[in-house]
Amino acid sequence: MSEQIPGNDLLVVDRIETFIGQFHILENVSVCVPKGSITVMLGRNGAGKTTTLKSIIGLTPPREGKIIFDGMEIQGKQAFNIANLGIGYVPENRAIFRALSVQENLKLAERKKGDFERKSDFIFELFPDLKRLYKLPGNHLSGGQQQMLAVARALVPENKLLLIDEPSEGLAPILIQQMMEAIRKLSETTTILLVEQNFIMASQLAERYTIIDDGKTVQEGLMKDLIEDTDLIHHYLGASIKTRKELEMEHESEN
Amino acid sequence: MNPKTKKLLIGILIAGLLVAAVAGVYAYAGQRAFISTLFSGLTLGSLFFMVAAGLTLIFGLMDVLNFAHGSMFMLGAYIGWQFYTNPTFIFGMAPFLLAFGAGVMVTPIIKPYLIALNISEKLQKALPKIAYVLALAALVFAFVGFDILSVANTAMVAATTTTVGNPLAELSAQEPLSTFWLRPFLMFVSGLLIAVASSRPGDKTQFAPREPIGKKLLMPAALLVLTALSTLVRESASESVLLMNGNLRFALSILLSVAFGFVFGAVIEITLIRPLYVRPTFILLMTLGLSYVIRELVQYLWDPLTYQMSRPPLFAQPGKASSIAEWLQKGSSTIDIYGATVPTYRLFIIALGIAMFILVIFVMTKTRLGMIIRAGVQDPQMVEAMGINVKAVFTVVFAMGVALAALGGIGAAPFLPVQPLMGDTYQTQGLITVVIGGMGSYIGAFVGAMILGMARAFGDYFALKLSLSPAIAEASTVIIMVIVLLTRPQGLFGKKE
Ligand SMILES: Nc1ncnc2c1ncn2[C@@H]1O[C@H](COP(=O)(O)OP(=O)(O)OP(=O)(O)O)[C@@H](O)[C@H]1O
Ligand SMILES: [Mg+2]
Repeated sequence: MSEQIPGNDLLVVDRIETFIGQFHILENVSVCVPKGSITVMLGRNGAGKTTTLKSIIGLTPPREGKIIFDGMEIQGKQAFNIANLGIGYVPENRAIFRALSVQENLKLAERKKGDFERKSDFIFELFPDLKRLYKLPGNHLSGGQQQMLAVARALVPENKLLLIDEPSEGLAPILIQQMMEAIRKLSETTTILLVEQNFIMASQLAERYTIIDDGKTVQEGLMKDLIEDTDLIHHYLGASIKTRKELEMEHESEN
Repeated sequence: MNPKTKKLLIGILIAGLLVAAVAGVYAYAGQRAFISTLFSGLTLGSLFFMVAAGLTLIFGLMDVLNFAHGSMFMLGAYIGWQFYTNPTFIFGMAPFLLAFGAGVMVTPIIKPYLIALNISEKLQKALPKIAYVLALAALVFAFVGFDILSVANTAMVAATTTTVGNPLAELSAQEPLSTFWLRPFLMFVSGLLIAVASSRPGDKTQFAPREPIGKKLLMPAALLVLTALSTLVRESASESVLLMNGNLRFALSILLSVAFGFVFGAVIEITLIRPLYVRPTFILLMTLGLSYVIRELVQYLWDPLTYQMSRPPLFAQPGKASSIAEWLQKGSSTIDIYGATVPTYRLFIIALGIAMFILVIFVMTKTRLGMIIRAGVQDPQMVEAMGINVKAVFTVVFAMGVALAALGGIGAAPFLPVQPLMGDTYQTQGLITVVIGGMGSYIGAFVGAMILGMARAFGDYFALKLSLSPAIAEASTVIIMVIVLLTRPQGLFGKKE
């Protein structure tokens, strides 16, 4: 589609089709994630963003198409094998393990012994709250704290790629800021594929975007182009009209 | 009233009723009867727990209700009893099973190479089938002319008829090594073919990194050594085992039963349950059917008879010890506890139950496996997405559950008649225990088991005393279950869905 530098993509999702039961959920999804960047996936509710991430990690394996990670075809492989190649997954809806303490949630994410010890300083610097909540069981955390734990968990092992599904969902504005900072900091060392409904957040973080609509990739390109293209935003991300206004206001205040 | 004070009040009320009931029974029955009934209750409770622990572990993680659990309990008892009384059968079968296992264990070594093969799709489909058929053929050939029944029967005859003299005296001489070696060899080949088939050669969607094979070599190599060893000593070993100190032999029987249960469980999970996860009702029916298969197999090998396993020496000398020290020294069969005469073997079963409970708690709360299990109960997909092989964890958990059942079986064997139906009561009571305690809760399983054990023991006591039908004791457990289900449908320690 648009400008791609071949050989520089850490992840290439190539025309995948995914079924859940007999439902044809993804009909033709392609995503490119260049190394060292943040790529955001946009689309309405039910467009198939979460399913795309799950197809990549192998929880809903695609029936057709290819997924190439780090030069290797991974479609059809088992999820744990895919994860162990160096892909971290932060699911939507804060799916942390409620019966486990914060500490155990983080320990469980280890792939090698000592992963957590190596990374703990980094993690607690990004999310200082977690240090205080260390011993609490997961079901005692607030929604925002669970979201942070879900992200932190993906940082424990060495990952080349992070798949993050709506990290800002249900967070207070101040926490959204903190989450954005965290993700920006992460992107210095890790490639990120982000699903984000909050257009402000998405547009400030990502260099590239992919729009998915009704199970198909309809557009991809550079974020700076998308911000200019109000029609496109309007057409596919109808829900974010308000977001656009906010954007304009922001532009005004910046000028 | 806020729910917390309400809970507290209900708790106090129940505790009060319990204390009153205990005091009442104590006053009515008198100290001696009370204590000896108490110990019967604890013994039964321990046995119920041994069955319920595995059931609840398996159900909690995998949503599999294992109706073959009672049969696995029985099988554990048979294996341990055989080893303790007359290990001919065990040693006769060992070369076959070990050789087969060694073959299968080659899988992780050859799999990466087989996957990498470039073969046509047709051949990819056909090859595993051919390998399976050949494996079956090798398996059949390995047993041709081998009289498995006579191996089992000599053991049986010896076990029933000879309390004096050498139980091995009647054994017919076995096949010479010069021809016998072919049998384990064929079993090894059969295992290898299974390894080839299950690797699905050429199927590149599988993933098996070519790691250094050092570690993977250990298992098949160890099994091969054991095969060779067990082939050489298949006749003499029985005798030396029987010459062993009885307590040591019993300890080995327990280890063997547990190991057998673990391997058996793993094999059942991989071959029969795994293909059915997409159809949970079929799993239920399959385990039910499996319980019949196991029972029939046992009846075929050892006839539908009832055996009495003798107690190990530590619990066998006639006489009553006045203290634990005296019992351990003399090996008395009973012990005096506050005036009541309690069989010492019961203390062993109670201790075994408590040890198992502590072990389960330790594994669940302190180990990585326990962490994975607790996380997997909630969200196995997410556990998988974190890079953990959940399928393998399922196998391990099922294997552990069956190992617990087998441990219960061998623990109970010197105490219960060893017969093909011995697990059935425990299956039922185990299920009731799990329902009372709360599906998936191991603490609930322990508390539930103790409640049921007490209900049974005191029910029996009163039925006898008041000349009521003994069915009352049996009914009492069901009544307790109904009461619990009506007041707390999720069980005493179950979490609300
Ligand atoms: N288990 C399932 N069974 C049937 N349909 C499903 C299932 N999971 C998802 N779907 C359908 O697949 C489509 C895509 O779902 P998906 O969760 O990928 O959307 P999404 O883009 O992440 O939406 P949102 O922004 O609301 O999170 C939806 O129409 C949804 O109803
Ligand atoms: Mg979604």
